[in-house]
Amino acid sequence: MPGLFREYGKMVYLPLANILQHKLRSALSVFGIAIGICMLVTLSGLSRGSFNEVADRWESVDADLIVYPRGLGDGAITSSGAILSDRYAGMIRAEHAKIVQRVVPVFLYPVRLGGQDQLASGVDPADFDALTAGGRLAEGRLFDPHGKFAAWLENELSKDSGKIFDPSQEQLAKPGRSGLELVIDSRLARAGKYRLNDTVTVAGHKWKIVGIVPTGAMSRVFLPRRAAQFLFDDGNIARSTLLFVKLRDGVAPSDAAADIKATIRQEVVPLEHYRQMLMSKIGVMFTYVDIVNAIALVIAFLFIMTTLYMTVLQRTREIAILRSCGASNEFILRQVLQESAILAALGAAGGVGMSFAATWAIETFKPLLTVTITWEWIAIALGAAATGSILSGLYPAWRATRVDMAEALSLE
Amino acid sequence: MTGDDYILQADRLHKSFGRRAARVHVLRGLDLSVRRGEFLAVMGPSGCGKSTLLHVIGLMTPCDAGRIVMNGSPVAPSENARNAIRRTQIGFIFQRFNLLGVLSAAHNVEVSLKVRGLRADGRARELFEAMGISHVMHRRPGQMSIGEQQRVAVVRALAHRPAIVLADEPTGNLDSDNADALLDLFRKINLRENQTIVMITHSAEAAGRADRVVHMKDGRIID
Repeated sequence: MPGLFREYGKMVYLPLANILQHKLRSALSVFGIAIGICMLVTLSGLSRGSFNEVADRWESVDADLIVYPRGLGDGAITSSGAILSDRYAGMIRAEHAKIVQRVVPVFLYPVRLGGQDQLASGVDPADFDALTAGGRLAEGRLFDPHGKFAAWLENELSKDSGKIFDPSQEQLAKPGRSGLELVIDSRLARAGKYRLNDTVTVAGHKWKIVGIVPTGAMSRVFLPRRAAQFLFDDGNIARSTLLFVKLRDGVAPSDAAADIKATIRQEVVPLEHYRQMLMSKIGVMFTYVDIVNAIALVIAFLFIMTTLYMTVLQRTREIAILRSCGASNEFILRQVLQESAILAALGAAGGVGMSFAATWAIETFKPLLTVTITWEWIAIALGAAATGSILSGLYPAWRATRVDMAEALSLE
Repeated sequence: MTGDDYILQADRLHKSFGRRAARVHVLRGLDLSVRRGEFLAVMGPSGCGKSTLLHVIGLMTPCDAGRIVMNGSPVAPSENARNAIRRTQIGFIFQRFNLLGVLSAAHNVEVSLKVRGLRADGRARELFEAMGISHVMHRRPGQMSIGEQQRVAVVRALAHRPAIVLADEPTGNLDSDNADALLDLFRKINLRENQTIVMITHSAEAAGRADRVVHMKDGRIID
């Protein structure tokens, strides 16, 4: 009997044989678990990957502090529009010149581009480098590179003509000083199949893509701050959304934040707190995702329990045979739990494989979404599968030990 | 004759099923002694309690009252104690063979050894060869003839060297040729290995191959 009495084979061939005997039912159980595991790994990877991708981009800004309006709490970091007067930038520069190296006002505004909402950053050309890791462009040029548009707009608005200044698209986009120019990041360019000099419609205006910045900059879309202020704040150019403050070398961000806050009476927080603030703002999303995952896993393992329970009911005679041979309750329990564990292991392996496939599909068809599959979450998924397989196998296994062998063997 | 000469002694066994008005008293103070190395046939009409007797002395189900001594030791009533004796000292052969349909013949035998905490030591192979069924070792029950299946069941019952083999209508599903062959086999094993066999049967012809025949009626041995 070559290989017949190998110890390993002895341990699992009965559960394996039972699984193979009911291929469709077993396959459905494995598929159910795989779906649950895939959801766990993929949704966690999607929610946490997207979160981290945004946080990483903000943390790449060359600044130490964020200044935003008081009273908004952590919600300020997801706010947009004209909510903070530009005069605070001047105040900080003037009163904290000894500790402040640079103040960068940014006007954030939600736009739709590449089939997805983007939080565009309106920034002065001179400050572009602070938000884009040095301002290096992969292609093209920066918008309004010589500040002509900003100067023209400031000049026009300073005139007291008694009329509302309402320039046409042609005036705003006049060659040589156009303010309707965008720089996008390479990921958005790839996702939206945008190229240099393409014209896109954003917020009711036609904009020309003049530059592409490598992925990793603070936003995926950059535009001239003056244009953003004028167009999205009802013709005003005096307010932005927040300020980034770069400190001089050796200045402690927390101390500087306290000093500046005392002066301007607005919220000032170290940039390194951004991730934590974002978490407190949208962290509840993870709770929802985890609840959905937990429900999916419970359903998957209820499916296994039902399958195993039915299997036990259908196999009372086989179980009785084993018991007539003197099989202990432990042996019977082990057989059912091994079957559950094999199904769960196959499902877990399939689920992890499916999650990589799902990640590929998401990143292929929705390239702006970030899915990060981590070993940590794979380990959590495998742990959930192991725990679930034991829990879902326990009741059927217990029922198996209750089989009345005399009765079952008499059913001839 | 001393107690040591008996492999099995059953004294005043009682067994009932059901409750209250539906209660059926199947064994009614049954006494049975089986000598070591004996081939015993138990006969009786349907419903007289033959199979229940086999289940009780096979320790598959507890008796309501009475005492069983197996191989010189009284059997404690607990499930664990009965299970331990069943595991080590008893081999069963059923009318419908009761092989595990998902496993090959060899695996059926191996599982029964595994359950008993034993490793195959070559006896299984010897038995397969002795029964003339070594060619079906790797076939599943559904791929074997009825006679082959019953012989696999015999191999499974003997592979762990039980003190006693209990056979419940082992020829009930066999044609006459296969039944003859099986009874020859029982006789041969009984003589060659001094294997104790208790066989429940309806067939006078089968019973005639045993050393001794006892008859049951209304839950008792009547002779």
